[in-house]
Amino acid sequence: MATQIEPTTQEPRSRTGRSLTATRPLMGWRTVDILTIAFLGAALGVAFWGWGVFYNGPITALKIGYAPLMGLFSGPWFLAGVVGGLVVRRPGAALFCEVVAALVSMLPGTEWGATVLISGVLQGLGAELVFAIFGYKVFSAGVAALAGALSAPLQWAFEVMSLPAGGGGWYAEWVLRDKVVYLGALVVSGAVLAGIVGWLLVRALARAGALSAFPPGQEHRESHAV
Amino acid sequence: MLRDITLVLEPGERVLLVGPSGSGKSTLLRAIAGLLETADAGDLTGSVAVDGVAPGSRPGAVGLVLQEPGAGVVAASVGRDVAFGPENVGMPPAAITRVVTTALTTVGLGDLALDTPTSALSGGQTQRLALAGTLALDPSVVLLDEPTAMLDPESAQEVRDAVAALTSRPGAPTVVVVEHVLGPWVDLVERLVVLSDDGRVVADGPVRATLEAERERLLAMGVWVPGEGPPEPVAVDPALVTPRTARTAPALMAAPLVVERTTRLLDGGRRTRRAAELTAGLEAAPGSLTALVGPSGSGKSTVLHALAGFLTPTTPDAVRVTPPDAGPPTSPGELDAPDLARTVAWVPQWSSSTIVAGTVLDEVLATSRALREGRSHNVEIGTDRAQALLAALGLEHLERADPRHLSGGEQRRLAVAAALHHGPAVLLADEPTVGQDRRTWAALVGLVAAYRAAGGAVVAATHDAHVVDRATVVHHLSPPSQAPEVPSPGIPLVARCGPLALLGGALLAVPAGVLSPHWSVSLVVLATQLVLAVVGLWAPGPGALARVRGTALRMLPGLVAALSVGWSTWFLAGRDLDPALTVALRVLVIVLPAAVLIPWIDPDRLGDHLAQRLRLPDRPVVATAAALQRVQSFGQIWSELSRARRVRGLGVSWRRPRTVVAHLGALTMGLLVRTLRAAAELAVAMDARGFATAWSRSWWLPAPWRWRDTLLVLLSAVPLAVALLAPVVGTASD
Repeated sequence: MATQIEPTTQEPRSRTGRSLTATRPLMGWRTVDILTIAFLGAALGVAFWGWGVFYNGPITALKIGYAPLMGLFSGPWFLAGVVGGLVVRRPGAALFCEVVAALVSMLPGTEWGATVLISGVLQGLGAELVFAIFGYKVFSAGVAALAGALSAPLQWAFEVMSLPAGGGGWYAEWVLRDKVVYLGALVVSGAVLAGIVGWLLVRALARAGALSAFPPGQEHRESHAV
Repeated sequence: MLRDITLVLEPGERVLLVGPSGSGKSTLLRAIAGLLETADAGDLTGSVAVDGVAPGSRPGAVGLVLQEPGAGVVAASVGRDVAFGPENVGMPPAAITRVVTTALTTVGLGDLALDTPTSALSGGQTQRLALAGTLALDPSVVLLDEPTAMLDPESAQEVRDAVAALTSRPGAPTVVVVEHVLGPWVDLVERLVVLSDDGRVVADGPVRATLEAERERLLAMGVWVPGEGPPEPVAVDPALVTPRTARTAPALMAAPLVVERTTRLLDGGRRTRRAAELTAGLEAAPGSLTALVGPSGSGKSTVLHALAGFLTPTTPDAVRVTPPDAGPPTSPGELDAPDLARTVAWVPQWSSSTIVAGTVLDEVLATSRALREGRSHNVEIGTDRAQALLAALGLEHLERADPRHLSGGEQRRLAVAAALHHGPAVLLADEPTVGQDRRTWAALVGLVAAYRAAGGAVVAATHDAHVVDRATVVHHLSPPSQAPEVPSPGIPLVARCGPLALLGGALLAVPAGVLSPHWSVSLVVLATQLVLAVVGLWAPGPGALARVRGTALRMLPGLVAALSVGWSTWFLAGRDLDPALTVALRVLVIVLPAAVLIPWIDPDRLGDHLAQRLRLPDRPVVATAAALQRVQSFGQIWSELSRARRVRGLGVSWRRPRTVVAHLGALTMGLLVRTLRAAAELAVAMDARGFATAWSRSWWLPAPWRWRDTLLVLLSAVPLAVALLAPVVGTASD
């Protein structure tokens, strides 16, 4: 049979409201959703690796002083979860994006070996939890900051845990006060450098017309259409 | 975009679809493929039926080949790429092998080995690969979206030959081609459909009769009608694009040169290949146009890179430029960004990478501003001239638009205007006329003619015969001869293991490190790991040194981390060496196996194994594998963006931190925008091959778990066992 193309008429849809959600069903991932998360994760993974070099170079100077403040510079690693969640707005997006980024940043060889992959899961879960609490309906700067902040605690626990029989994470031997300061630094850094920066980044990407297939792109169009 | 389109395409019909730029041709193709809402925004009304049902009903019923070669490449090898569609519809592996071979033979790629890397293909081969990928799903309709626009004449002919071979078979699919250069396609199609500016069908009929009847309308639309010579270039006032400094001698001279490209291999070795060869000297004399021609892969773009100083030829002083302030000739790589911008301008093939500003007008003015010309009393003149330049190129109505929203053809014209506004001595242009219709071509060529008349010199890499006709000198480049391959180094034991075993081995190091209670134990664990690393990386033959070097290099960040973690613990935990040594060695225990094992993981095989062995969901796994194999290209995009900023006078100075931040920010945004665009394009290509509905995929290649995988995991568990047992043994012997 033949290929036929016919016009029909239909009222264009219009929407109002604050955050736009992803198309229903929420778990109905489109191909472009999956690919965008994977590609964003890979690009941010390359950036993670670059940040790691910077972190190990100039910022290491801080360790000579008061090491827990290094946490203030850990935020960029939580970025993939926040950005992935803000762009695609589906359950699992934040976790998936952060894990792909971790996988990619592990490939060239980093100072953390395979723990990067574990960290990716722990950080992604934190961000994912925040988006889930808000029912994947609210994607404001505040929620983004919260997602960035909550990327930190699980990661922190992994780094400072100390086992009764000896052994533990990187910073197992620190005293409790330093560990708590470190958590505070991580949370602040996550809220600002991952949350707010991630939110601004997504807005800039929408303005550049790179998110036309996603809710942030639609929000940008609607706010500029009227 | 499109309005009231009604079309009926008969089975086996071959249709050529033409229309002015922006008339919605690509949109119509995506509508026919049922992919309009895959990655685009907008409101869709109407319906498309293929064989009486919606186009998505049978996966792959409508095949789509995109304009940019490589945009739709899914996998790292030829065989895997063609197998993608059949896998999506759950075809059994044995049948897939048959289908893949047949499809590749039909498009003339039958003599390629199935494991040929897709990155090693030429542009024409890549387009034919995309065609084979659609044929593997036995499509009713094949849509070709300007499939040869970015190819040299020979490669374009290869693609057309493949289409001809496809349509001459019995039961051939309907073929719809979008093109604006009609000549080469007229003999291949039987029907011509013409769209108007506002997206309506204005003519539809047998190709030759319609061409005859609609000739004037098509010419007015700017379509390249066969038998019609190039249009007369538009006259442009040379005052708009006069070089800042009048010259009599060439501002750029190049001796014959060779550019080599060295890639670092994952195993720590290096491979050096000749990327381009310029066999005769080149002089960019005032008023001249030098054309670089040759098939794709002959290194035309690479030669332009060398002329702009982005790449250093094997003889470093082969390229000499004379900056405007009459300094001595120097190599372009040694100039700072402003001096480079005053001397040469560059229009790359991906003209979107040169975008540095938020509006079209600011884009044109950016370099002039950076060179501090627009600061004093002549601000007005600069702006007026920029507006006149935009008008000359038909972009005046877009003055306030965001340049990133323009079409590819518009971006290319904008890039030329932005390259010339500040009056550089030489313009280096990479395929400047690709994607232009007759009208915009005439404007662009007119502008370049004005620049030459005003004393500018142009060096252009081009496939466009009409541009070559205007050249004062033509350099024919051919693909450089390659030195014979060095014998490949022996395959170490780890390289024979599967990706899951490698990943598992690296992960087993984490508990080994975490559970080591004391540095004395960690030391034993680390010694065990070192012995295993030597065994795993050993192989007969050469290459051992490279592997050791590569592993050591990857361990470097780990060593730094061990030192800094150890220091902080010493400093904060009572200035005691004991815990400091413990955490430092813990870091090394965790990092070493990853440095040894991870580099040998192949992304495609990782995908096979994650889906088949671990039963992870197919679609995210395929997407991740596709993203992983493009990671390398992110590095290339990054350096291209960085070069584009430099040649536009936007340099980085470490003394001014603001420029560093602006630079990093711009590059990150640029990389992300390009990445997102690539993802959207690939989504369209993948959905056209049945990925949207791939709920029960099959996998063409098996993911076997072999005895050596078990061995690797067992051996990787030895350090963990040591970490657990050493304290017990230690206590017992006390």
